[in-house]
This record gives sequence, structure tokens and C-alpha cells, in this order.
Amino acid sequence: MTTLPPPNPLTPPAPRSQATVAPGDGMLAVDAVSKFYGSVVAVSDVTFDVGPGVTALLGPNGAGKSTLFRMLCGLTPPSRGAVRVLGCDPRDDRDVRGRIGLVPQQDALFDHLSASDFVEFAARSHAVHDPTQAAQAALGEVDLLEVGAKPVGQFSKGMRQRVKVATALVNDPEVLILDEPLTGLDPVQRRRMIELFHRLGDDGRCVLVSSHVLDEVARLGSRVLVIAQGRLVATGDYRDLRELMDHRPHRFRIEVSDPRRVAAALVDRGLVSGLTLDGSVIEVETLDVDAFGRQLLPLVVDAGARVTEMRPLDDDLESVFRYLVEGR
Amino acid sequence: MAQIEETTALRRVPPATAIVLCYRLILRQLLTPGRIVVLTLLALVATVSAFALGVADASLDDGVGLLAGLGFGVVVPVVCLVFGGAAIGDLRDDKTLVYVWLRPIDRWPVVVGAAAAAATLAAPITLIPLTLAAAGTGVGNSVVPATLLAGVVGVVAYTAVFTLFGVVLKRFIVWGLAYILIMEGFVAQAGPGVARFALRKYTRSILVDITGADLDLADFSLAVGVITPLVVAVVAVAVAAWRLRSMDID
Repeated sequence: MTTLPPPNPLTPPAPRSQATVAPGDGMLAVDAVSKFYGSVVAVSDVTFDVGPGVTALLGPNGAGKSTLFRMLCGLTPPSRGAVRVLGCDPRDDRDVRGRIGLVPQQDALFDHLSASDFVEFAARSHAVHDPTQAAQAALGEVDLLEVGAKPVGQFSKGMRQRVKVATALVNDPEVLILDEPLTGLDPVQRRRMIELFHRLGDDGRCVLVSSHVLDEVARLGSRVLVIAQGRLVATGDYRDLRELMDHRPHRFRIEVSDPRRVAAALVDRGLVSGLTLDGSVIEVETLDVDAFGRQLLPLVVDAGARVTEMRPLDDDLESVFRYLVEGR
Repeated sequence: MAQIEETTALRRVPPATAIVLCYRLILRQLLTPGRIVVLTLLALVATVSAFALGVADASLDDGVGLLAGLGFGVVVPVVCLVFGGAAIGDLRDDKTLVYVWLRPIDRWPVVVGAAAAAATLAAPITLIPLTLAAAGTGVGNSVVPATLLAGVVGVVAYTAVFTLFGVVLKRFIVWGLAYILIMEGFVAQAGPGVARFALRKYTRSILVDITGADLDLADFSLAVGVITPLVVAVVAVAVAAWRLRSMDID
């Protein structure tokens, strides 16, 4: 695992003290946890602590985020290792389940219930003192109070997502586990939801939010856990991750009319650290993306060639994960 | 939102409250017009058949045989399978079970609430048509109370067993139909030893014991016919609660 920066190839898990995001106040503690489904390894030897505030769990689809969240909520037991929520095993401890708020990834809701009834059911099943008032307050937090009487089956994807968030909030939990909660929200609601998460974190709650969208993580908070291929590959500050993205090698695919001449010019000027030729297509790797961008077109013109297509091959989160996992 | 200090007191839902909550939720979930119409039509087949038998001046054995075969061999188990299996099985299949599971409540009230909701819907759909059927056969005054008692026992036992199916088995309808048609309808006919494991034999015994009709594979006493299915129901609920506690939730 890597503490950001620097980017490293995958290494054996760090001792727990090194993996700690918020030392000394582990409201969520994951200790050497693995999860297998037959021969498939969903989560492999993951260790981290998370304290109060907002922490983002970042990873591509299929990285193991949802499996990790399910283990944190006790919905499935780890095959190895231990999970603790507020010092308790969420799988066996009935009481700790009342201190967790979960937004599951799946879209399923009780469609025949109104939003008010759905959230009120959650409040009653958490033994909240005044369930009706609590449900109204939670719906108010997500701007659904006015449509609370409508069946959730008639709601749009974004509204359903907000109902799930209201359900997670209604028991006023100390730990919030939110699996891609911003999916389907419009930009305004996305911003409001992120503000809400920060407010909850500032109150001293542990808010763990998963996402596979880097831009979301940028706004969610500075603390990130990066998971890829079931392994925790990095923990640290988001700004370091951003810096890492900017300074890692970048790859481009360029289609030109005279590829050999352009390739030679690129090498002569020292703009690329690696290059392959395939017909009219040049794939290049560069460490200085700014200089490459500035000098490419003049270089092509000087070579008497013409660019028909150019696109980055790795300007996405997947490439960051690949870089963190494989060092390339 | 309130500050976190206010939330730390442990909150527990009393079992009775949890049963009522789950009962109401699942009752509304199960109550779909399609299910009600189709299953009522199925039950009415038994009623119409019984009235036809009554018009033809059938014997006691024929009348009770029809109730035992069509009513308690098909209508009661199939209706209970649809509602009992779906009570928790549908929540598991559509991934809404998490909204019941991740709560500070025990597992057994969830199962009891689910089974009670299923029985609430299965009871009128089966008992009313079958009681009318019993009256329609015109083969004796004892047939109606016998049908009612066997119906109540059958609904409770089948609903609990099929609620367990819904918890444990992914294709609960297929497995339930296999149990009804193959185990109870075919294998259990092989002899009294195997028949002991078929709920149908107990409802059949109740009918025979009260009416005095002469049907084979119905030799249990009334007490055994009533108590054994109820014990099976309790065991099924207990196993379902244990399984619900240990199963993976999506």
C-alpha cells in the first residue's frame, strides 16, 4: 500500500499504524480483511482506520468498494481479518447496527411506500423517539419534504438517491457509510449533498463515501483511501493524488500523415520518454505534458505532416489506479 | 441534525414493535392485485368443483376426497407458497432486505412478521372458498368445521415452511412447487412412512378424523394432525430466523 505520494508498485500491506487515516480515533477499523467468493478475491488484505470527518473511498467499478462497505455494515462477514465499527463487530452486535447509516449502491426501495412512509419506517425500525418528526427532518435535509407524500416508485433516480440518504440520516447515526451516494444527482443537488456530508463530518460523525469519479472525490474532502483490484493501494490527502496524476507519465495516441518523420522529430527534441509506431498511429509517453502539448503541432508542421487525430490514452482515474497498482 | 452526543444512547426496538413493523411493511409489499386475482381464481376452482359434486349427490368419501385432494393438496399449499415464499424472498431478490436487516432488531420478529403477513393474505383466499366448497358438497354437517380447522392448521404450517423457503432458497417458487407436486403429490403417496414428512397428510387426517370419511394416508389422530404442523411451523420460523442472521445480504 502507498501513502500518497509517491506512487509505488503494489507492496505488502503496511502495518496498521502506517495505514491510519485518522490516528487514535478509529470509528471504523478494518484489520487485515479479505473477502473471497469461491476462487474470486473481492477484497484482499485491507487494513485501515477511519475517524471523524469525511473520508472518500476511491476506486474503479469492481474494485471491491461495495464489498468492503457490506462488511463494514455487517451484511457479509470477512473471510479473513476483522471489522470493527465503534469498537463492535457489526455482524453480531445488534446495537451497533442502530448507530450506522447506510446508503446502499443498489437502487431498490419499497416502491409502494411514499417517501415519508419509507423514511418513517426506517425511523421506527431504529426506535427513534419521534419517528414522524425525524422522517420529516431527514427529508428536509435532502430537499424532498414537499414531495414526501408521493410513492418512491414514481421518483426519478436522483430523488430515489436522496430518499436513500434521508433514510441513512434518520437515526442520526455516528457512522455514515455512503456507497456512491451522488450517482444520478444533478449538479445543484450534488453540491448540496456534499455540503451536507461535510456538515455531518464536522459534527464529529464518521462519513465514509465511495466514488469512482475523481471530480467527486475532489469535492468530498481531502482524505482518500484508494482501492483497486481488491487492495488498498494508497491512503492520504487528495491533493497528493491530484499531484500524482499531474506528474505521472502521460500517454497519447497520435494519427499523422507521415508518422516516421514525426516520430523521429519527437525523439530528437526529447519530448517523449517512450514511443511505438503502428501504421499511421504513434503512441507516445511523455513526462512533461505541458511542453509536449505546446510543441507538438509546430513540430508536425515543421515535419511537413498533418495530424488527423490525437487523444490521451490515460486521462482518467483508471490510469491512476493502474499507475498506483502496477507502477506504469 | 442533532449533535452526536444525543445519539449515543442505545436504541432497541422491542420484539412486538418489530413484528408489527415488519408485518405492516411486508403485508403491503405482498398485496398486489395480480396475485390476489390469480390465487382467488385458483381457489374458486375447488369451490365450483365441490358444488358440482354436491349437485351430483356425491358420497361423503368423494366430497372429503375432493377437499383433501384439490383444496388441501393444491389450493392451500400453492397460495401459501406464493405469499410465504415472497414474504422475505422478494425482499432478498429485489435487494430491499437491507432496509430491514441493518436495524437494531432481532431476526425472529422479522420472520414472524413476514410469516404473519403472508398468512393474513393466504387465509381469506383459501379458507373462504374452501369453506364454501365444504358446504357445497352437501355430504354432512361436520365437513365445514373440519375444513376450517384443517385450513387454519394448513395455512399456518405451509406459510411458515414456505417463508423459510424464501429465506433459504433463491428459486423458492420452483423448489416450493417441487415440494408440493413431487414430494407431497407423488413421493408421499408411496406409503405411510414417507407420508409422515408431508404436511398434506396432517390436514387430511384432520378432515378424516372429524368427518369420519374413509381416505387412505390419513391415519393420524386429531391431536397429532393439529399439533405436529404447528410444531413444524415454529421450527421453520426458528430456522428461518437463524438463517437470516447468518446469511449474506446484498
